[in-house]
Amino acid sequence: MLRTAHLTFAYSGSPILCDLSLTIQSGEWVALIGQNGSGKTTLVKHFNGLLKPTHGQVWVGERDTTTCSIADLAREVGYVFQNPDHQIHQSTVREEVACGLRWQGYPPAEQHERLTATLAQFRLTDYAHHPPAILGFGLRRKVALASVCALRPPVLILDEPTGGLDARSADDILTLVAQLNAHGHTILMISHDMRRVAEYARRCIVLQAGRIVRDAPPRDVFADAPLLQQAFLSPPPVTQLAHHLGQPGTPLTPEEFYQGYKRKDL
Amino acid sequence: MSLAFDLYLPQPSPLHRLDPRVKIVGLVLGTLALLSVHNFWVCLAWVGLNALLLAIARVSLARVLGMLRLMLPLSLMVALSWPIFYPEGTTILFSVWRITITAQAVWHGLALALRLNALAQLYFLLLFTTDQMMLVRSLVRLGLPFEWGLTLAIALRYIPTFAGTFQMIAEAQQARGLRLTQGPWVQRLRAYLPILIAMIITALRAVDHLARALEARALGAHPHRTAYKDLRFTNTDWITLLIGAFAAILFFYLRLTFNFGVHPIDLFS
Repeated sequence: MLRTAHLTFAYSGSPILCDLSLTIQSGEWVALIGQNGSGKTTLVKHFNGLLKPTHGQVWVGERDTTTCSIADLAREVGYVFQNPDHQIHQSTVREEVACGLRWQGYPPAEQHERLTATLAQFRLTDYAHHPPAILGFGLRRKVALASVCALRPPVLILDEPTGGLDARSADDILTLVAQLNAHGHTILMISHDMRRVAEYARRCIVLQAGRIVRDAPPRDVFADAPLLQQAFLSPPPVTQLAHHLGQPGTPLTPEEFYQGYKRKDL
Repeated sequence: MSLAFDLYLPQPSPLHRLDPRVKIVGLVLGTLALLSVHNFWVCLAWVGLNALLLAIARVSLARVLGMLRLMLPLSLMVALSWPIFYPEGTTILFSVWRITITAQAVWHGLALALRLNALAQLYFLLLFTTDQMMLVRSLVRLGLPFEWGLTLAIALRYIPTFAGTFQMIAEAQQARGLRLTQGPWVQRLRAYLPILIAMIITALRAVDHLARALEARALGAHPHRTAYKDLRFTNTDWITLLIGAFAAILFFYLRLTFNFGVHPIDLFS
């Protein structure tokens, strides 16, 4: 679904991404992790054409991103920015969610069908006539996500979807994303929230200084202590606890930890 | 601040070390003097003097050329349009239809184009050699109320931040399918509306947060303010100020008594 070949991107002569080659299959949930400045956002901006490679190539499906406009790629790749306020500009939630559909030129009947379905799916129907700019941060993030999802892009890129959210709002957002993933959407998520990376993602790509240093399932990544140290990352607290207690394996969730703990006790 | 909106570049030059207040006084006197002359040779000499000052300030050739490039369209417009609209003197170079071009008007046009460049160079020189925050500090020391100075400093500080935010918002809206580069110009202009609205919302939020942050740090709690980095006049500053004042008095004496620099070609008239 998403593919890069020897992708290199330099800004004012300084390389940000160096010779990245990766393939993301349809329906995957991939977490992109790494310290600040490692090139995560720069990489994902190549998938919707906001950035074009300095060298190498990027494909979305069969399309080379250098040959498509950002607006055309928006139908294929939805990008939810870190700050919802960078998207919100309409006077009601309803209009906010509908504006992407309008910009893409969908017929009115289809606009209405998609809008109603999206508002219901994201449990925003009750807020449809509220001004989005004055909603709470969690709801604003949900509106931003809904406005992107209304276009039903097969690929969804989420930049720090749980940053600044309380546990309930964060789980609420990721549950919605999990539903989309279950319906076949490909999810590419940038996150520093290792607990949720461990819980939701099925593949982890670790970036460091613009290079992929590990591409593996979360369990393998969080079991690799030297790698985590090198990339300035910490495993989820429950995994750290299991390691401290000398529990074998790498539990990623409290349930897994509990099962392992019980087995050890027995 | 090292972003493109800040022209200041630290260098170990005497002009950088000069107190910003001396530079501001020099700028005001220079502006008044330049606005009072129309002579080609005086303006040319002034451009030469500015070039010398730019060299002393170790401003790179690339920056000087950038400044000249910025001024070029306006300079050309002034130099070419002045002889067409304001014919003066008796030496006619040529006449076409109702337009008569005289030698004096050509010199005058050239003088005004040079004057424009000399003025721009003076202001650029101040910005190239003075840190924005110290510039604001010097304005406050010259009598500008502290709150105004702070407002100015914050405004300057936020230019690159808001430019970055604008870029981010434009990307966020394009990622939802907004087309900024298609269609007739009215449509393209309208396409910027969602960006502007989101920008205003973000800016208002930033203003609110900043106001709270300033209050949280007890801004205005003490009427008498001190500064961590304050300005102090050195002997060099006093000497430069005296030389500048003497030069200005001499210049205005010659200008007012002997009409120095009034005629486009002759130095005295």
